[in-house]
Amino acid sequence: MHYPWWSVPALTAPLLIAIVAVLHVLVSHYAVGGGLFLAVEIGRAYRAGDEALLRYLRSHAWFFVLLTVVFGAITGVGIWWTIGLASPLATEVLIHTFLFGWAIEYVFFVIEIAAAFALSYGWGRLPPRVHQTVGWLYAIAAWISLVLITAITGFMLNPGRWATTGGFWTAVFNPQFVPQVLARTGGALLLASLYVYLHAAVKAPPELRTLLGARSARPALLGALLVLSGGALWYLFLPASARAALEAASTLNLLMLLIFALTAVVFIMLYLGPYRNPGWVTTGFAILFFVLGVTAFTAGEFIREAVRKPYVIYNVVLSNGIYPPEVPRLRAVGFLEGGTWTRAYVAARWPALLDRAGRIAPARLRDLPAAERVEVGRVLFQYHCNACHAVAGYSGMRALTRGWSRPMLRDLVEHPERVRFFMPPWAGTPEEAEALADYLAAVAPPPPPGMRYDGAGGGP
Amino acid sequence: MSPIDPRQLIGPASPLGSPAPFWLLEVFKVLGFTLHQVPMHLWYAGLPLAALLGLLPGEPARRLRARLLGGMPLIVAAGINLGIVPLLFTQVAYYRVFYPAGVLIAWPWFSVIVLLTVAYYAVYIAALGERGGRRPRLARAAVWVAALLFPAIGFIFANLFSLMTRLEAWPALAARTDAAGAVTGLALHTGDPTLLPRWLMLFGLALLTTAGFIVADAAILSPPQGAGRAFTARVAGTAATAGLAIFLVAGWRYAQTAPVDIPLFWRAPAAGLPAITWLLIVLQRGEIARPLAVAAALVQFAALGANAAARQWLQNRELARYLDLAAEPVRLEWSPLLLFLVLFVLGLVVVAWIASQMMAAVRMAADQPARAGGSASPAGRRTTS
Repeated sequence: MHYPWWSVPALTAPLLIAIVAVLHVLVSHYAVGGGLFLAVEIGRAYRAGDEALLRYLRSHAWFFVLLTVVFGAITGVGIWWTIGLASPLATEVLIHTFLFGWAIEYVFFVIEIAAAFALSYGWGRLPPRVHQTVGWLYAIAAWISLVLITAITGFMLNPGRWATTGGFWTAVFNPQFVPQVLARTGGALLLASLYVYLHAAVKAPPELRTLLGARSARPALLGALLVLSGGALWYLFLPASARAALEAASTLNLLMLLIFALTAVVFIMLYLGPYRNPGWVTTGFAILFFVLGVTAFTAGEFIREAVRKPYVIYNVVLSNGIYPPEVPRLRAVGFLEGGTWTRAYVAARWPALLDRAGRIAPARLRDLPAAERVEVGRVLFQYHCNACHAVAGYSGMRALTRGWSRPMLRDLVEHPERVRFFMPPWAGTPEEAEALADYLAAVAPPPPPGMRYDGAGGGP
Repeated sequence: MSPIDPRQLIGPASPLGSPAPFWLLEVFKVLGFTLHQVPMHLWYAGLPLAALLGLLPGEPARRLRARLLGGMPLIVAAGINLGIVPLLFTQVAYYRVFYPAGVLIAWPWFSVIVLLTVAYYAVYIAALGERGGRRPRLARAAVWVAALLFPAIGFIFANLFSLMTRLEAWPALAARTDAAGAVTGLALHTGDPTLLPRWLMLFGLALLTTAGFIVADAAILSPPQGAGRAFTARVAGTAATAGLAIFLVAGWRYAQTAPVDIPLFWRAPAAGLPAITWLLIVLQRGEIARPLAVAAALVQFAALGANAAARQWLQNRELARYLDLAAEPVRLEWSPLLLFLVLFVLGLVVVAWIASQMMAAVRMAADQPARAGGSASPAGRRTTS
């Protein structure tokens, strides 16, 4: 509304954020946990004088750099790219609130990158003590980076007192901060072990594979416990709306079940496999492990994004790019008039809708021909609804409103938050609601053919 | 449709206020962009140069190509990381024009993520190929892929940053990709007369930076032997001459097409310093001399700073036609700012320590070739033989 809206057919623009974010977290958590793994194991290898282990760790460090420094770094920046395009208002709020938080995170990120390169390129060149120090510098910087970014993601889900008091530190130490740091630290340990199993299964000789399998089982088990305890605290400190969304949406129910089931399966497999029987870490076992872990992670990230609805930042920015306090004003003056880009577009395309003062007069929508009113409704749909609903595709309106009558659509448009509490409230005038209902009626298909409730379809 | 006044397309200022004074955001942005330019120029012009060197026969060409490509993964990593700084401060100081311009060319802007990933991996393949990788043809192809993709990414950046200040182009661009008042984002801002000169100016300056890097590398880090010395000096001189010519012609055209006059105060150092770099490089055509090479690198760094500052001045003047950027109320919180500054200094110390350790190790490895895989000697002793 304050910014132009990017219309992405079928997917919707915010879904692109979810895609980039999931790809990123699958690597960024390994960037944290894997750094710790390398720091610990390099120290052990040097102390024990284990040439074979050092050789393996060198190849692992190279794989680690190729994946985390390239793909991890680019997708991390890519999240910025995408949120700026798909949720510019929320990004504006986040950057204004966390400017120096991001700047601090950047300092640690630079240390991370410098240390990662030194760790890999310095192999066989740096003195062992320096090499180990570099490994630990990497691990510490990467974890602090995780902590700082988690403050921002936690803030989005529950900013706590910030909404009333403001302030950088209130924003950082939000109610979700500790739970998410625990869960993400655990996730980093767990996921890194799964990467280690996968890499070791392909690259390490059998005896090393067994050794690494046994050693990585402890941090992985600890990680699984941290994920579960952090997850429980996460649930406890969710805003009531997010908790209710988790209970109400059947997809989220299933995904939650999937996460707990997969984490439990991974935990049992870790215990029975690498912990008790390290020799079990075969290539197939490692791939299965990895797929299970990645699936649980992906589901977790999807839930994290989804439970925020109807907000991008809880109580601060609605998913359709409106500040909640703007809603009453928009209901009075009109959504089209209140939006920067909608006002300019509608005024240029339908000058007949303007009053003498040059403002859009929603009452004049009634005078527009029906086809034009549907077009105005489409404008409203783009800016009010498209953040969560495609016409056809992701959460598509055609599928959701199939067979709905015009009064039903009108009721949905005027009170979306009553129909589904995780939808943002209607932020326009009644005339604009009519126009949007007209548009939805134009795209909603009839009920599927062949369904009869009058007995004419036959029966026992 | 009636014409749209671009001023109507600027959203309201953030109710949160600016987290720092505008001048401070500007300082960080210019400083960040100056630093970002060094590695960015090296991949921008260095990769096409390496690709062309691959077409030339002889050991000197092969050696120079290897020097350019060998450190390229590190250069790209540095460039991406240093690029975060100006982007962060652009987003906080210019959000009212940056985000709309981005959305208008959303798909090309979004594609940068994919293009950069491919280009970065191509750089790794190319660098590994130079170190005796098993697939030399793949490595050669990868150099060309990276050499084409990075300038393409630069073109998209030039598009966005020129569109950011050309609000008069927004209504037409939005109309071209209209989706019921929203935009499809399937457009590039190619109609801007400043776009091509802007892009070429950057390329010209990048050639000069690369030439400066070549002489500095040859003078300090890895002096070439025999015929390689004259060849390296010749390549640097040619790149510098081509770079200065492109920079001056494109810069002249840019000044002609820019919507505001650029005073001599900004033009003189922005154009004069690259000319001094050029002179210092071509003076070494016969023999690369360490003092001249160091001077060329330092002057070129100053040239990058002067150009970054001039661009910033121009950007603000162009935007002043539409909005007063400095008028936003400031709500500065000192504690996170001070913490950042302290950590920034500490971070520099840590990175400098890592760099010094690596340089010492590289120097030692040059004296005593490293043993593959290192050795597991007790802690505190060198692993190289």
